[in-house]
Amino acid sequence: MSKGIIISPDKCTGCRTCELACSFMKHDNFNPKDAAISVLAFDEVGLQVPMTCLQCDDPHCVAVCPVNALEKDENTGVVNHDREKCIGCKMCVSACPFGNMTYSSRLKQVIKCDECGGDPQCVKLCPSGAIVYKELDSSMERRRNIASCFKEAFGEVIR
Amino acid sequence: MKLKIDGIICEGREGETLMEVAKRHGIHIPSLCYRKGFEGLARCRLCLVEVKEGSRRRIVSSCVYPIKENIEVTVTTDEIQRMRKNIIMLLLLKAPNNSYINKLAEEYKVAAPERYMNPLDDENCILCGLCVKACEKMGTNAISFVNRGIYKKVSTPYDDASKDCIGCGACAEVCPTNAILVEDNEGKRKIWNREFNMVKCSLCGSYFATEEAYKLMQEKLNDNEEPICNECRKKIAADKLKESFANIY
Repeated sequence: MSKGIIISPDKCTGCRTCELACSFMKHDNFNPKDAAISVLAFDEVGLQVPMTCLQCDDPHCVAVCPVNALEKDENTGVVNHDREKCIGCKMCVSACPFGNMTYSSRLKQVIKCDECGGDPQCVKLCPSGAIVYKELDSSMERRRNIASCFKEAFGEVIR
Repeated sequence: MKLKIDGIICEGREGETLMEVAKRHGIHIPSLCYRKGFEGLARCRLCLVEVKEGSRRRIVSSCVYPIKENIEVTVTTDEIQRMRKNIIMLLLLKAPNNSYINKLAEEYKVAAPERYMNPLDDENCILCGLCVKACEKMGTNAISFVNRGIYKKVSTPYDDASKDCIGCGACAEVCPTNAILVEDNEGKRKIWNREFNMVKCSLCGSYFATEEAYKLMQEKLNDNEEPICNECRKKIAADKLKESFANIY
């Protein structure tokens, strides 16, 4: 069964180590803008929400890509982005229902989480366990992991 | 199918080009107009390699050369290096002030003869045709080569504002010499002699795509919702996630 990144906002301290880890891993710099994961702060309730690609089952980004640079890997469940194939039309950026794809004009590329090919560095360095990488064995468990009302709110698009 | 590239035994399928096989095996062949996923264009000609088939030697463009069984390929020989230098010299004359071509010329230690150089020439296009191909892949076909000989250039029909162009900017992104100008300014984008209105995010008011490109995206997804930029979409998604956790306490 496929593995995935599971987010628990209740554990997140907002240290943003994940952002730096991602940026350094992928682009050799410490720029949160280049990271495929970002932490959104909700101070009024004291919660921090790390957001990254959810590797949807029916990805909108894949549907709009004109050159098949985005492909869903059926074995790992990851939606992979092929940088060499990408022509930078930015369709995927406006198509993603969760805004988890960004485009960096400085790097001239789309920034998207690929779970580091099975070894996500953000998870490795997260000090509080707010993001974990584990098996998503059954649809029931998935539903519990990614909070259930989140699923209701967005319909079947989420894995 | 087995073949040798620089002494490394490579495996390829029938119909694949030399460039594709070399890329897959991590062998670098210099090129400007090759792009994965595109058919070879054979325009920049930097990807010349020597192919030895039996007792026959020939020089081919690797991005369009279909592989054959048991051929031996050498990526760089003295002869090829000389040819590449000549090609780069010609490119340098075509786009004398382009930083990418100048960098390439420096790398290959090439200088163009001064009497043919026009230091005021602001041409950046080397006519590789990647932009035309990218536009074709987008399904818009707004630009193509026009004119012949020294007047050849990439443009829209009659240099007019094209009604097919969606202003996505993919042509500018794939350009190896950064020759295509995209001007974004307060909700307007200017590209290929046409001015586009940008879509405004209904929440934060930032401009994020041209109206035409956004419409194409919506058509592909059968989506009719209000335009929301990716930052705001992320905020909405995070907010929903927050709500579900905030309710627990």
